[in-house]
Amino acid sequence: MNDNELSRRRFLSLGGAAALAAGLAACTGTGSSDTGSTGGPGTGAKTLRLFTYEDNSTVDLLKAQVKAFDQKNGTTTTVDSLPGSGAAVYPDKLRTELLGGKGPDVWRIWGGQIGAPFVKAKQSMDLSAYYTKFGWDSKLSPAAIEGMTFGGVKGGVPFIGAGIGGWYSKAAFSKAGISAPPKTYGELEEVNAKLVAAGITPASLGGKYGWDIMRLFEYLLEVSAGPDLHDKLLTGAESWDRPEVVTAFTNFKKWQDQKWLPEGAVGLDPADVENWYVQGKAAYTMTGAWTEAQGIQAGGKKSDDFGVFQLPTDQTPARHSGFVEGYMVNAKSGNPDMAAALIDFLVQVDTIKALKITNAVVTGAEPDQATLPLSYEWAQGPGKQPFYTIQDQALPKKQADQYFAVQSDVLQGKTSPADAAKKMQDVIKAWDKD
Amino acid sequence: MTTLLVPDTAVSAEQPVAKKRRGGIGATVVMTLVALLWISPLVLLVITAVRPLADFISHGPLSWPGTFTLDNFTDAWNIGNFATTYRNSLILLILKVPLGVFVSAMLAYALAKLRIRFGAAIMYTVFLGLTIPIYITIVPVFVMARSAGVTDSLIGLIGPYLAFGIPFEVLVLQSFIRQIPDEIIEAARIDGAGAWRIFLTVVLPLSAPALVTVFILDAVATWNEFLFALILLNSDAHKTIPVGLLNFQGQFSNNNTGLAAGILIAVVPILVAYTFLQRWIVGGLTAGASKG
Amino acid sequence: MGVPARRKTRHGGLVAWAFALPALLVYFAFLVYPALSSLWFSFTDWDGLSAGYNVVGLGNYADMAADPVVRQAAVNNLIWAVVTVVVPVVAGLALAVVLNGTVRGKPFLRLIFYTPAVLPLVSVASIWGWLYNPQYGAINAALRAVGLDSLAQPWLGQDSTALGATMVAAIWLRVGFPMLLYLAALQSISPDLYEAATVDGAGKWQQFWHITMPGLRPAHYVVIALSVIDSFKVFDLIYAMTYGGPGTATQVMGTWMYFNVFQYNQAGYGTAIAVVITVVAIAVSIPYVRSQTKEHAV
Repeated sequence: MNDNELSRRRFLSLGGAAALAAGLAACTGTGSSDTGSTGGPGTGAKTLRLFTYEDNSTVDLLKAQVKAFDQKNGTTTTVDSLPGSGAAVYPDKLRTELLGGKGPDVWRIWGGQIGAPFVKAKQSMDLSAYYTKFGWDSKLSPAAIEGMTFGGVKGGVPFIGAGIGGWYSKAAFSKAGISAPPKTYGELEEVNAKLVAAGITPASLGGKYGWDIMRLFEYLLEVSAGPDLHDKLLTGAESWDRPEVVTAFTNFKKWQDQKWLPEGAVGLDPADVENWYVQGKAAYTMTGAWTEAQGIQAGGKKSDDFGVFQLPTDQTPARHSGFVEGYMVNAKSGNPDMAAALIDFLVQVDTIKALKITNAVVTGAEPDQATLPLSYEWAQGPGKQPFYTIQDQALPKKQADQYFAVQSDVLQGKTSPADAAKKMQDVIKAWDKD
Repeated sequence: MTTLLVPDTAVSAEQPVAKKRRGGIGATVVMTLVALLWISPLVLLVITAVRPLADFISHGPLSWPGTFTLDNFTDAWNIGNFATTYRNSLILLILKVPLGVFVSAMLAYALAKLRIRFGAAIMYTVFLGLTIPIYITIVPVFVMARSAGVTDSLIGLIGPYLAFGIPFEVLVLQSFIRQIPDEIIEAARIDGAGAWRIFLTVVLPLSAPALVTVFILDAVATWNEFLFALILLNSDAHKTIPVGLLNFQGQFSNNNTGLAAGILIAVVPILVAYTFLQRWIVGGLTAGASKG
Repeated sequence: MGVPARRKTRHGGLVAWAFALPALLVYFAFLVYPALSSLWFSFTDWDGLSAGYNVVGLGNYADMAADPVVRQAAVNNLIWAVVTVVVPVVAGLALAVVLNGTVRGKPFLRLIFYTPAVLPLVSVASIWGWLYNPQYGAINAALRAVGLDSLAQPWLGQDSTALGATMVAAIWLRVGFPMLLYLAALQSISPDLYEAATVDGAGKWQQFWHITMPGLRPAHYVVIALSVIDSFKVFDLIYAMTYGGPGTATQVMGTWMYFNVFQYNQAGYGTAIAVVITVVAIAVSIPYVRSQTKEHAV
């Protein structure tokens, strides 16, 4: 109630002030009410704005930590959050604010090609000096730092690294007479066949946005091409028009034809199908450790009844798909030193633990074994393995969408695996030219 | 002139007796069936809103709930920050919609009856506003709002909201106002009424069904507007309902049951308002006003 | 400037401008000016994020001609326009006439047919996604229940049916809009005309064609013009339901513009698409504006 009154009064005063400001601005051309957040160089004040996409369950934890930072440093930091998968609206808003000259000082962003445009457009700052100052190179996982390094520029500081594994229902496996998760790709195919024979859809994946069905394809590519070639394909160093890629597309189609995927998988919303393995509608899915809290436990089930395995690639090293998230600093921030200090504070082990982050790339911040046993198991085992970049971050959005379109055509039988490999080569070649 | 006096149609329609009423029952049955089919997809929304989230996650949207609960509504009220977003959306609606409809009616009147010069050019310009994809205007609008110091403020939304509502409202209203016979306006003028008085006492009352229609459509559009609100507002204290609904999303999973409850909380008032206002479209008000 | 205008009629001139100005000022400041200031980028290679860009003249427009997705989007737009204009307008007209007549429970029925238009699009997309689910969705379940198993499809999951599936949802959403406008327009047709016709022995169908339809003529113009324009710039429903997919099967100009401006870092190119959408829609509006200004002259 107190809160209500406060905000009402604030609204009234703000409304009045805004109207006044609007009137003034109409006369003078520009307003100068940019205090409160960075307006550009020279603001210099001890105010910061952090823009993120924390959802309702975590944003208050973050605000509490930021407050602690403020008390220690005498700063005033505003936390604005725009929850959501963010793949769409969050970057839209971030971009508009940056272009409008009123961007946040620090923002959270995904790595790879989602974060890259901000560095390329010089909207975010080169943080190399701060890496040295705060010793981030030794505190954070090198693979994760790689995911926040763009064309040699350390444009962001990673704090989350998520790996994609196979999450399965023990009941479904035992119903089909499967005693243990597969150790080789051949075994995985056998598992699928047994599941189908037992009337269970094996893998619940949907492709409405390209992902998450791409997680299957990138895995099949890792199986057939191996780590070295896979990486070279993604950078365009090797041609896609080759047998390994054709094999991957052939296997991909096989998954659909053998009904190892849900019917009409390309059109399904991953948000809807990902939990099918929890609901008993499918045996497993390919996803990250968040599914333990947000799928299994949020569905009122016990972690004991489920399991996780690294998708077997028959390759050395045994890699899985992964992606990072981190923070960037506005190139026009009025107070970059303080912004970097805020980031350093946010990647401290204690902060990570207070924020209940279960997939941090910070050494010493592992998930809690008692509450999240499967996440812990993943972090201790496969989580320590190297990963290849999840493919919607490995390629720029345009090329990624073309990649997904090729995958969709293959699944619908409109393009043969051989043609798909050729088309992919064209896509990657066109990217090189850009 | 009599063609414009609009008595209550409901009354006049029921006068021709028995024969018509029978046809009415047949049509009623058919319409009810069609309406049930039409509304049926919404059953999914309502069911989702009254089941626990765990039940939804563990059984999927298309299953019958294991248990029912109304807790989603209280949770949604808090998560969606409705105490604040309701107030903000309502303030916007009250400030923006009547003003928008009024200035649009003025322009529509100028186009339809005042023989404004360059009328065709104005009409094309107005069409421009309908056709332009809103997305390409957001950066300039943001820059304008920033230089006026009205980002993160409801005031900053009113300008763009008015501007993007005007084209549609003007086109609809001018079409209706055009139908008002010139003789009525001429008669008022002979009585000594100026343009302003004619507008207020003749044109507006005679356009009441169109005004109410436009008012409803504009109110719905304002209530649901997402993009400008998303781009211009930051702090929780200033967010509107559609932006607040984002709080039910997470990076990897959505609070679907809370969202469904939140959507019902968000749309019910506008549906109630619609039910109330639609009576004014069809008769009643018009009849009385046009006599005056 | 006011003088010759004043000579023509007593009104008009400055008085007309006084009425027009408030709306026009707001409209130019917050819509026309931002739109025009963006227009420039259609002649550049701006990425939508950097400070700098190069001027490429008409390069973006030339690129559009060679872009297969633009071709596909244009065809989709055309199909979409025909279906989502004709069906909702005809159905909305029918609903308006029926719900203006002797049916019982009119306020309630009017509410039901308008309700979908009020829903946020996120929920529309989820609801229809659930209905269309190939294995568990209500639509395939209904088809299987009546023995039409062969018609059960992965509606949103294949190129051949995805666009049609979005159009069904669009019709569901949009029928309330023409219904409302026609309901309003029906109020300006005098009941005396119907009474006279009934006395003359004219049937309901004849009354509809000879009284209702001519009486609704101005409404037809405005309903159709608005519906056509709406269909040309369709964006959010398709974006929410299919994300333009599978592949690019349901891309329309509106979504393709969005993807380019905001997701592909090709704001210059995307803006060029937006310009084309606008120009086409304005061209379509020419007959409407002509009809309005002509009627005025008479």
